This record gives sequence, C-alpha cells and structure tokens, in this order.
Amino acid sequence: MSRNVLEKLMHQLCVDRTVKQRFKEDPEGLLARYALSDEERAMVTGFDVAAMQKHGVNAMLTLGFWTENAPNRHPAAYMKALRGVASEGQAFSAGLKQ
Amino acid sequence: MGKIVGGFLVPHDPVMFVAPEAPAEDVRKRMWGAYDACAERLAGLNATSAVIIGADHYFNFGTGCLPQYLIGTGDVDGPLDVLPGLKRQIIPASEKLAGFIADHGYANGFDWAVARAFTVDHAVAIPDRLIIDPVRARGQSIGTIPVYIAAGVDPFIKMKRAIELGGAIKAAVEAMPDDERVVVIGSGGISHWVGTPEMGKVNEAFDREIMDYACTGNLAGIGGLSDEYILENGGNGGMEIRQWAVAMGAMPGARGEVIDYAPVPEWVTGLGFVQLFA
Repeated sequence: MSRNVLEKLMHQLCVDRTVKQRFKEDPEGLLARYALSDEERAMVTGFDVAAMQKHGVNAMLTLGFWTENAPNRHPAAYMKALRGVASEGQAFSAGLKQ
Repeated sequence: MGKIVGGFLVPHDPVMFVAPEAPAEDVRKRMWGAYDACAERLAGLNATSAVIIGADHYFNFGTGCLPQYLIGTGDVDGPLDVLPGLKRQIIPASEKLAGFIADHGYANGFDWAVARAFTVDHAVAIPDRLIIDPVRARGQSIGTIPVYIAAGVDPFIKMKRAIELGGAIKAAVEAMPDDERVVVIGSGGISHWVGTPEMGKVNEAFDREIMDYACTGNLAGIGGLSDEYILENGGNGGMEIRQWAVAMGAMPGARGEVIDYAPVPEWVTGLGFVQLFA
C-alpha cells in the first residue's frame, strides 16, 4: 500500500514545474523514482483518478493532478473519468480550472 | 492590552474568480456584495490586526510536512495559486503580534509550527483581498496574520482542538502589552465537495445548521460534530468548518449575525457570511 508515495507524486505533479515537465516527456522514467506498484503506475499514466481515490488518495490531489497534467484538462472530462459516466453540462464544471 | 474586537466567518471560493458569471446575476451580486459588507463592517471596528484562519488544500504543504496548525510570523504574500483577478502581492503583516501568539502558545501548551516567510494560498488571500484590502485603501493600517489548520488533509485537527486553538489566540491577544485591536476571520466552508464524484452538490440544511451554531455561539454544538457527520453532510470541503470553530473559539459567548447566505452549485459551494460580535 503506497498511498503516501502516490500522494507525494500527486502533490509534486500539482506544484513542481520540473516534475510536471518530466512527467510529460518521460513518464516511465519519472515513475521509476517512486516506490509504486505496477497497478499504481498504471493509475498515474492512465489518469485513473477514480482508482486513485479508491486507493485513498486525497480528492484535492486527484483534481489538481488532472487539471495540471491531463491531456484534456476540462472539468467535465475529470468528472467523467471520476464518475465513469458522461457529465458534461453539470453546473460544477464552471468551477474548475480551464 | 490587546483585545479581540470582532470576527467574520466567510467562504474562500476560488470558483468565484474562475467563473464569476456562472450563477444568476442576483446571486452573484449578493455574494460579491457580502464581501463588501464585511469590509464595511470591518472598517467600523478600527482593527489593527486580522488573524485569518485558513486550511491547506494540499498545496502549501506536501507529504513531507503536514502541520496540525501553523502561524505565519514573518513576511506574507500570496496567493500561491494565482487566479483571474487575484494576482500575487505582498500582504501587510503583523509580525510582532504573530510572534507573540506563537511564543504565548509555546508557554501554554500550543506548539505552533511557524512560517517565517509565507506565501499563503487562496484560503487567506481571498478574505485578505476582498475584506481587508478595501479597508486599508481607506487609510487604516491592518496587518494580516495567517493561520493554517489541518482541515483539508488528514490527519485532521480535532474539532475540540480547533476550538482550543481559538482560545489560545484569544489568550495571547489579551496578554499582548500593545493596544492591538484584533479581528479573527474564519475562512472556509460551508458545504462543498472538492474533486469528489459529488462535486457540485450543496447541502443547505447543513449550511444553516453551521450558521446557527455560529450565530448562537454554540461551541458545544459545532464542536460535537463528528468527522463522519461532516463528511457525509458537508463534504470534504465541509471539514473547513474547523476554521469557523477556531474563530468561534477565539470569541466564546459571542453572538453572530448572518450577513448573507446562498447555496451556489455553480460555484460548488454553500456560501455563508457571518459576523461575530465581541
């Protein structure tokens, strides 16, 4: 169980520009520096925020991770990934970083 | 002698800056206007310092250090997370009083973590910018003292301890030899779900329950809420009522008045504004 390491990585991917750039250019190389299981690495590279939350990762970190790093940073895409259903048009989408 | 001359309990909703036009016009005018009303009321208190209690959003602090409670005793600026219309700037501080509160705590069972040069996030920057800055613009000199408590990231500060922390702030202010006039601002809440599948939900019943505790000075009521109850009814963002509890704990027995309230799903939050009267 490496929720703590996942949270460390998520936090860095929210606030550290260098780590964010490395993740973009060489995700496998970056993740090799963290004691993560194969399953956890897949959560990160697959932007599986729902699985991360089930794993115990703080929801503010999954949100920040998504809005800073995901290919489609739109809030509706985050909610869709989280809920597993289409959620476009929901009022909450106004609130997230574009 | 220092004294606490008043308090405010307000939200710090970044969505107001990101999507200012999202709610209906009357609602958004009321909510922005509520900050103006707080500023107007603050101006009448002739305060010299403001203790703003915020919560970390897993932004200022990472897994390497997660303080239960922290006070900024030196230079202050912010926000760390700049927003449209909320650029980073130097925030006038109140270093002498902040240091005194920390020292007083060390002598009385409150081992504050300190930030000696601190870039606050929106939790402190929003009320500072919208409530205190307009009063500074009128010529009043008010120094901000940022306090951060563990309400966003576990292990969460216990509600009982949050109230006690408010008491520690009160005791320190009253022990301060200088004639400081201090306002406490509990920044956060009320119900909101941040980054969870429920995001966008607002629970007006919970919000009104919390405002009722604030207006009646019901420390036992707010202090008696379990984390499970808060998370279920107020969301993970609802844990920020801890900041309200700190402010209420600094003003035991104080009555309050709701300045305004609206459940605003477009801004993902129940927005409550309360003044506490010393």
